[in-house]
Amino acid sequence: MAYMHIGKDFVPPDAPGKVTGRIKYSEDYTREGMVYARLLTSPVPHGRVVNIDASAALAMDGVVGILTADDVYPDGEPQSTGLKILTNEPTLVGEPILAVAAVDEKTAESAMALISLTIERLPFVLDPLDSLREGGADAYTGGNTFVFRQGFAQEKWTSDQITSFQNGREPSAEPQQSWEYGDLEAGFASSDFVYETSFSTAGYPHMSMEPRSAMAYWENGKCYLHGTSQSLTALAEPMANIIGVPLEDFVFINEATGGGFGQRSRAGSIPSMAIPARFSQKINRPVMMRVTREEEFTIGGARQGLQGWIKVGFRSDGSMAAMDMYCVSDSGGKGGGGDANSAAAGVSALYQSEAMRFRNTSIGTNTGHRGAQRGPGENQIMAIVAPIMDKAAEALGLDRLAIRKMNAAQNGDVSGSRSTPFTSAYMPEALEMAAEQFDWEGRKSRSRQANGSKVTGLGIGQGYHNAGRSGMDGIVRMLPNGRLQMHTGVGNLGTYSYASTSRAAAEVLKMSWDDCDIITGRTDRHLAISSPQDGSNSIFTNTRTAYGAAQDMLAKMKEIAAMDLGGAAADYDIDGSRVYQITDNTVGMTYATVAQRALELGGKFTGEAEVPEDLNSLTALSVSRLAGSALMGIYHDPRHAGNPPGFAVAMIEIELDTETGKFDIIELVNIAECGTVVHPQGLKNQLVGGAVWGIGLSVLERHLYDPQNGIPASTGFWQSKIPTYLDTPANIGTGWVDLPDPENPVGARGIGEPSMGSVSAALNAAISDALDGHLFDAAPVTTDMIINHVAGISEEAIPLAQNNFRG
Amino acid sequence: MYPVNPKLTRRRFIKGVIASGAAATSTSIWYAANGAERPPGAVERLIRINVNGQVRSVDVPPQETLASTLRYKLGLTGTKLGCNRGECGACTVLVDDIPSYGCSILTHSVKAMRIETVEGLESANGDLHPVQQAFVEELSPQCGYCTPGQVMAAVGLLRANPNPTREEARQGMAGNICRCGSYDSYLNGVMRAAEIG
Amino acid sequence: MVATSHDVMPDIELYQPTDEASALALANTLGSDGWLLGGGQDTYGWLKDRNKTPAAMIELTQVDAWKGIRETADGVEIGAVTTITEIATNPLIQSKYALLSTAAGRVASPQIRNVGTLGGNLVQDARCWYYRRGLDCYRAGGNICYADSPEGLNREHALFGSSRCVAVSPSDTAPALVALDATMVVSSVGGQRLIAAQDFFVGPARDITHMTVLNEGEILTAVRIPNTWANAEFYFEKVADRNVWDFALVNVAAAFKVSGGTIEDVRIVCGAVECVPRRLDAVEDAIRGQQRSEQLAEEVASIASEGARPLNYNHFKVPLMENLVKRAIRG
Ligand SMILES: Cc1cc2nc3c(=O)[nH]c(=O)nc-3n(C[C@H](O)[C@H](O)[C@H](O)COP(=O)(O)OP(=O)(O)OC[C@H]3O[C@@H](n4cnc5c(N)ncnc54)[C@H](O)[C@@H]3O)c2cc1C
Ligand code: SF4
Ligand code: FES
Ligand code: FES
Repeated sequence: MAYMHIGKDFVPPDAPGKVTGRIKYSEDYTREGMVYARLLTSPVPHGRVVNIDASAALAMDGVVGILTADDVYPDGEPQSTGLKILTNEPTLVGEPILAVAAVDEKTAESAMALISLTIERLPFVLDPLDSLREGGADAYTGGNTFVFRQGFAQEKWTSDQITSFQNGREPSAEPQQSWEYGDLEAGFASSDFVYETSFSTAGYPHMSMEPRSAMAYWENGKCYLHGTSQSLTALAEPMANIIGVPLEDFVFINEATGGGFGQRSRAGSIPSMAIPARFSQKINRPVMMRVTREEEFTIGGARQGLQGWIKVGFRSDGSMAAMDMYCVSDSGGKGGGGDANSAAAGVSALYQSEAMRFRNTSIGTNTGHRGAQRGPGENQIMAIVAPIMDKAAEALGLDRLAIRKMNAAQNGDVSGSRSTPFTSAYMPEALEMAAEQFDWEGRKSRSRQANGSKVTGLGIGQGYHNAGRSGMDGIVRMLPNGRLQMHTGVGNLGTYSYASTSRAAAEVLKMSWDDCDIITGRTDRHLAISSPQDGSNSIFTNTRTAYGAAQDMLAKMKEIAAMDLGGAAADYDIDGSRVYQITDNTVGMTYATVAQRALELGGKFTGEAEVPEDLNSLTALSVSRLAGSALMGIYHDPRHAGNPPGFAVAMIEIELDTETGKFDIIELVNIAECGTVVHPQGLKNQLVGGAVWGIGLSVLERHLYDPQNGIPASTGFWQSKIPTYLDTPANIGTGWVDLPDPENPVGARGIGEPSMGSVSAALNAAISDALDGHLFDAAPVTTDMIINHVAGISEEAIPLAQNNFRG
Repeated sequence: MYPVNPKLTRRRFIKGVIASGAAATSTSIWYAANGAERPPGAVERLIRINVNGQVRSVDVPPQETLASTLRYKLGLTGTKLGCNRGECGACTVLVDDIPSYGCSILTHSVKAMRIETVEGLESANGDLHPVQQAFVEELSPQCGYCTPGQVMAAVGLLRANPNPTREEARQGMAGNICRCGSYDSYLNGVMRAAEIG
Repeated sequence: MVATSHDVMPDIELYQPTDEASALALANTLGSDGWLLGGGQDTYGWLKDRNKTPAAMIELTQVDAWKGIRETADGVEIGAVTTITEIATNPLIQSKYALLSTAAGRVASPQIRNVGTLGGNLVQDARCWYYRRGLDCYRAGGNICYADSPEGLNREHALFGSSRCVAVSPSDTAPALVALDATMVVSSVGGQRLIAAQDFFVGPARDITHMTVLNEGEILTAVRIPNTWANAEFYFEKVADRNVWDFALVNVAAAFKVSGGTIEDVRIVCGAVECVPRRLDAVEDAIRGQQRSEQLAEEVASIASEGARPLNYNHFKVPLMENLVKRAIRG
């Protein structure tokens, strides 16, 4: 289909502000009378605050006040997992206990040293298996796990059960969670190659570039919060609830977000923004709370680490007959994370196993909280499974590409526990395209070839994420001057989807982009709700709403034209600036005139009547405030059917030096299968960014806590090993299949997360290839692991360790 | 009440950490108390610094970092703090044309030098600097938080080496982390800037 | 402090002497209350964390006499406040002592190299994360080592020479200077003393709270590299997790004088395996007078790690070190 805007590059309105430094992030604001808050955080991994004596600090020159958990929870703290604003019952080192405000940050920091904090230490634990073991400590006061709707519980295995699991055998304990489909036993019985192993993947910090700083003030009973988020509208109402202010009295300002990869999608993952809001309310001054890199580590959340066991069976033709997976998931100090479940669903989607069983138990540790982080679960497990696919191919005498094609998801296929059909799926095409761009056939023979101490390794990886939601709203307005205002609530987190999805509205109305304005950045500009922008869903979800709102406007425009110029609405068409009669295009009126007429007519045309009933509350509020101001298109998106997948395929050639454990990436291509391409440059950025993240997961990133004291070791970029320019290739090849999906009006689906899983999988497979097919059954595979393997050293690492080296 | 982890007995707890007030003496600023013994000749707080070609008078305490002065005294918030520890490059500015971490340099150390920030690159008529223009054309930034630092590193690189190879550009930009992983797009931008430069 | 993140520079006085005499006088008067400041790249983290709390900083970089690279009758002299970038890119160093320029080019990141000084790189403090986090370990004056313990996170720690503390030498330039037989020029109000690079660094057995022999009031003013090794055959390699910023897991600096294929003299020094750059005399002795070859490399590599005492997580440093030595000998 020929589009005006979809599939075309454009200059997103925020791009110039980013290169000039003019765009503002939350910490770039100031306000008359503003004071600075700093956090006093827990020195212990698990404890109970017995006493806080802040008198000396409060007496200090320049100190304005303190805010404690007693201030924010006068009726007691919520007794559940989940991040709290402030707490007297910390379950990890670095959890905020109180905030101090002063005239400058230095004074606030000095004041903290004068606060005497008495904490009762409680037992702590850093590895889920240590907590599962009989007699092991529990991360939370009420147990080591939190069961939805039931509360805290304790889960224990015998020592033998733990040891057996650590030694690679199937866990025998009852899992907390499970699902299965197909006949697992028959699947394994019919398999010609079965691989079984325990594995571990590391949790590691989110580490957005922008720390989650926030500034707040109150004016005329309204709370203004400058904050950071992945979706400024999805987050607004729950954030207002956390602060305790009615939605109509809450203004969330978030022009730009310095990176969000899951941990800023929901208010519950970033309640620290409520601290300056509550503090400002208490002391009646604007409060800036700058968050440090270390705090971004401790409260910014992390990917879940998985300790798992997996068994996979293949038939002689390479088809995956059965997959059995059991995970123990690290829920960290505040609960959270559904990685294991997504991992299993991802394997089901990508490899189409005929029978499958999933089991999981989530256990808390006194480490950073866990939650959604770029391809949670899927991207870890793909790094484990890809080398197993190669093992199977080798055992069955198949080509590594062929075994993936054999199992690839196509139109009509289903996946997951409920056998949900894909809305469309073109994995074979994506594999084909990657193979061509990478020249798989040509490079294949280089696999495992040695050149001195260097060995070539090749890897193929596939990534998947369920990449589309629905049920959100759209608002567009036509001003009397003929300009289109697109009120988007989609966050500006670096994907440019706030702009690219809005273009679906311009597309419907055939308008020149120059005549369109995106209205966003703060909720008092009256925006429509967007989905929380996690789960690669923005493109699918929000093109639907932008498109729908514009369709509503189009219908109203034709109705007005018919009313004024005669005939029926159906007799009219548009050309981007006029509504005209199809039979005689000289009869018509400009968009500007239609908008002026709408203002005269009022009622449904201006959002004063016949507003869709099921609008989300935030959208309804925005519509009520915009009503009567212009011609309005308003839309509530109904639910879609099926599972819109985001797929990616990566191929990698590395040259691994067996003497140093280091490798160079010689070639890397990352191909998207995400429906129609909406914004090529934006998509390309997701593919290269995903590749960098995949490399981080596969070989570098880590989340270290000291087993002796429970203090975090990897609090900065340096110690958590965020990939740099020189750890990633100078060129990354990208491409896209570009076939439309029927469940989206412009054919689009999402890509942000699969683009990482493809690379984490391909790289782990390439390393394994370079080492003669050795499987580490772990991610990351770090330099020292490679050196040890080559040297035949097994050191005293704890099997399946979490929050430590090797996991 | 709670089962005790057998490991706990082996754990060596950090002494003194429980009552953080105990640390007050070691962390309080005691130079003031020692003031009488201080030798003369310490720096004056009121200084003039040349930022983006303008000489500005500022009151700068001796220990203040350049990034703090720029952001909080001069309102030049384009310079970002990603780590405040020399670990990311978001704060990169040019000091006499040399890319430096603004978070890890004292304002007093560079008071006699030319300081350039991202705000100073556009020409008088508002045209973007070639690096900025190229970064827009290539859509190099994603979230944009590392972008001012990337821009300044690229400007510094191209002043020293106006026609770098892609590999030289990569080496030159290596002190800037992009958590969004936009390295490939930034390198495209640097190479394009060298062309249009 | 362990508990709470500190991020702002607290009040500290600053002196910016422009001549040698006043700098030395200030260092003398302020003693342990004063903090010598090169480029500050190793300093500001300590101060922001409030884990080191000096009363004043004495900036050394305004003293012209301590800047720059000069050819001397016996080699070159590098002022201690010369930046690492200058050393990495200086034509004289590149042509005569490429070992040093290569090592300098692998330090940290471009911006840190642009500001960080040679003196600071050599005198920088241990990077053990327990210590940097402000724990009361031996090196911080306490009586415990968190790294050398059954559960300690010691992947990056020492194989050799530990004595309560197992921190390693962090510098990339230090092994190169030891291999080049450099001399450290150290000044104080009391005069000047010259110290062989190899003797400049000290391990915990001798002084657990310092990494060098410098006394209070002493300043490293220059490094002299003799002609002995000029234009020799050099080998430098650093293996780190990330290729920017990260300190070496192991690095090796080697200089060979080879004539007709025979190794006439050699220096091989490893960093990040001991608290000081580790000169591998035994390997040197084993290969001096031998034909430089792959076979020789294979034969002697294991000598490199003799006496190593790996901790829980750093066994890999043993083969890594042997491999790097092998590569150095192979050339
Ligand atoms: C994130 C990060 C990564 C790093 N990675 C590496 C790496 O990979 N390899 C590496 O080698 N280094 C690395 N470093 C260390 C860095 O190279 C040094 O911090 C830098 O070289 C120090 O130089 P400086 O002049 O800035 O030192 P300063 O911070 O000024 O000084 C460091 C120490 O030396 C003392 N000192 C300075 N000059 C003198 C002198 N002339 N006489 C006596 N004492 C003096 C100071 O008092 C201070 O104790 C890294 C640092 C950081 C922050
Ligand atoms: S290795 Fe040294 S610096 Fe590290 S904890 Fe032990 S004593 Fe302290
Ligand atoms: S903020 Fe300066 S390097 Fe990160
Ligand atoms: S663009 Fe987001 S950190 Fe670089």
